[in-house]
Amino acid sequence: MSDDRFAFCSVAHLEAPSGIVALSMDALRAGIERAPDDSLFQHVTCVAMRYPHARDLPSNDFARWVGTSLQAPDVAERLAYAGAATAQPIRELRASLLSVLDSVPQPERSREAPPEAAFHFVGVRSVPVPLGIEASDPVQAIDVWHRLDSAALFFHVIEAPVFGDAANSFPHWLRRHGADALAIQAEQAVAAGRPIARLRKDLGARWRRSQIGRRLAERAGAPEEERLREARAAMARLAGRLRGGAGKRRNDGGPEERP
Amino acid sequence: MSAIRDAARVPYEHPPAEHWLARYEPVVGAGTLRALEALARKLRGHRIVMVNTTKTGGGVAEILHRVVVILNELGVPTTWEVMEGDDRFFGVTKRMHNALHGHVEPLTEQDREIYHERTRLEADRLALDGDLIFIHDPQPAALIEHRRQPGQKWVWRCHIDLSRRDPAYWDFLQPYVSRYDASIFSHIAFVPPITIPAYLVPPSIDPFATKNRDLSEHEIEGVLERLDLSPGPGWITQVSRFDRIKDPIGVIDAYRLVRARRPNARLLLAGGGADDDPEGAEVLAEVRARATAAPGVTVLELPPGSDLEINAIQRASTVVLQKSLREGFALTVSEALWKRRAVVASAVGGIPLQVLHEQTGLLVHSIEGTAFQTIRLLDNAELRRSLGDEGRQHVRDNFLHTREVRDYLAVFASLV
Repeated sequence: MSDDRFAFCSVAHLEAPSGIVALSMDALRAGIERAPDDSLFQHVTCVAMRYPHARDLPSNDFARWVGTSLQAPDVAERLAYAGAATAQPIRELRASLLSVLDSVPQPERSREAPPEAAFHFVGVRSVPVPLGIEASDPVQAIDVWHRLDSAALFFHVIEAPVFGDAANSFPHWLRRHGADALAIQAEQAVAAGRPIARLRKDLGARWRRSQIGRRLAERAGAPEEERLREARAAMARLAGRLRGGAGKRRNDGGPEERP
Repeated sequence: MSAIRDAARVPYEHPPAEHWLARYEPVVGAGTLRALEALARKLRGHRIVMVNTTKTGGGVAEILHRVVVILNELGVPTTWEVMEGDDRFFGVTKRMHNALHGHVEPLTEQDREIYHERTRLEADRLALDGDLIFIHDPQPAALIEHRRQPGQKWVWRCHIDLSRRDPAYWDFLQPYVSRYDASIFSHIAFVPPITIPAYLVPPSIDPFATKNRDLSEHEIEGVLERLDLSPGPGWITQVSRFDRIKDPIGVIDAYRLVRARRPNARLLLAGGGADDDPEGAEVLAEVRARATAAPGVTVLELPPGSDLEINAIQRASTVVLQKSLREGFALTVSEALWKRRAVVASAVGGIPLQVLHEQTGLLVHSIEGTAFQTIRLLDNAELRRSLGDEGRQHVRDNFLHTREVRDYLAVFASLV
């Protein structure tokens, strides 16, 4: 169905001050309670986007601030855990963070960081950017996956589901096309809370593997000569990779050293 | 009669043959460039005019030289207009700059008149014929009063830290700023109370600039030999102007604690010339006096434009310090991280955005903390390598010019 093609978008996040500033855990709690959804999204969910190639994903901004500026490692750890599920709905995220801060004894909650180390809440406005890359079915989507940048992946598998934006949610579209298994794999990979570049790579590899059976079945019906030609081409590509010319495809969406 | 500065306009109708974006592809990846091109397509049919007050010297001109080329390569026609001024005008704007940074400066009626007079003259001369006008810093901010046309969007990009602004100067500037469609600041702490939309766009570095480009061992050795420096294991450096907020005395005190435990350690404090800054000269004298009492300390005064020297010094360092008491954004940190250096830095200003503690570097809060973390790094090559690798990756993802261009395009796209 041509009107149900999935149009991939990248996204740029415009950061803006929200006007909320905290110097203590008490003020941080008050800020988290009243901050708009996009601010919590920015400080927790967007961490995966800001550090796409990190070896280990850093804790969310609240946890890092409490750890470094308030020097409260135990609370920092608990805040980190509260925000570790990458795509949790903002309402649940807010409740988890507040529950951690509510459990901190009062003297510790009112201890202040120096003014130059204040926590400023930042909001974010998303600017979706159509890439001109479309897929009419899940198989085609897997084929174009390597052409997407990390921001596109973030937008379609994390941001859109978090905000209930069904039109841009890739798992939602996969389900509509009967690819429930692929959608579940995407959601499980997101829930694991990995840096976005690794998520992109893992998911791409997993989906390509899932297509091997189908491709073999398809090729079984092809003429012998065509299959031989494809086999030779595949061997040539493999040899190229082994010679060190690898990474052309892998690097298409990622930078030089840690694709 | 006052001399006219920066008389030349900087035309960018025809970008140079060299393709900057193509150079970025192996660094940031084709996917990132594809997304940048897609964002630029949203601005098809629009034209950007950048305006500042100098085409050479200073970080803003450095960024504009690159960003204007990149925008044109992306198919967004962009020109760069340089506002001219005489010594009186630049005297006023220099005081304005200092006052907005927090120094106490008088603002007289005559200063206001000089500022207005030059603005009126330049408003007649400058080719502000695009539909997206991008004004950099306070000097040309009042042009909007004279030249705003229907259908144009004006954006004010403030590169300076306004957190300690002099109210008199801000009250003078604020009515002009409030006429813009949007404003952009480098760090959230720099944003004043403002009635127009404010966005945060951190500054960025150019990986191909002299200060950051790859250097061969041979080049590094050549530069250091010329400076009469002989680095080795245990070389600790801080590259910063000689200013109290950069805490050079604190750096020497931390180094003395390091040296007590690691006698092979040496310290290099390298900084910009202090000739035109009386306080800078005073601080430099204090630093030199303190350094004589600490063996193994070298104090190096670098002339302006010592980019290659800074590059070589950073690359030869075992540990790079940025032990500031207060900071703006501190792009020197990104420069060191880009070179895979192990960085120990204070958790102030824009530094925590660049140094993620124990991941891309080590954050500190005291002299003892600086000494402790420096010793850790001197002793642990694997930790230095791991932080350095992560630091470079972090800069690649967040602090290169391609990211700054993307953010500017997103601001424009949100306005049109």
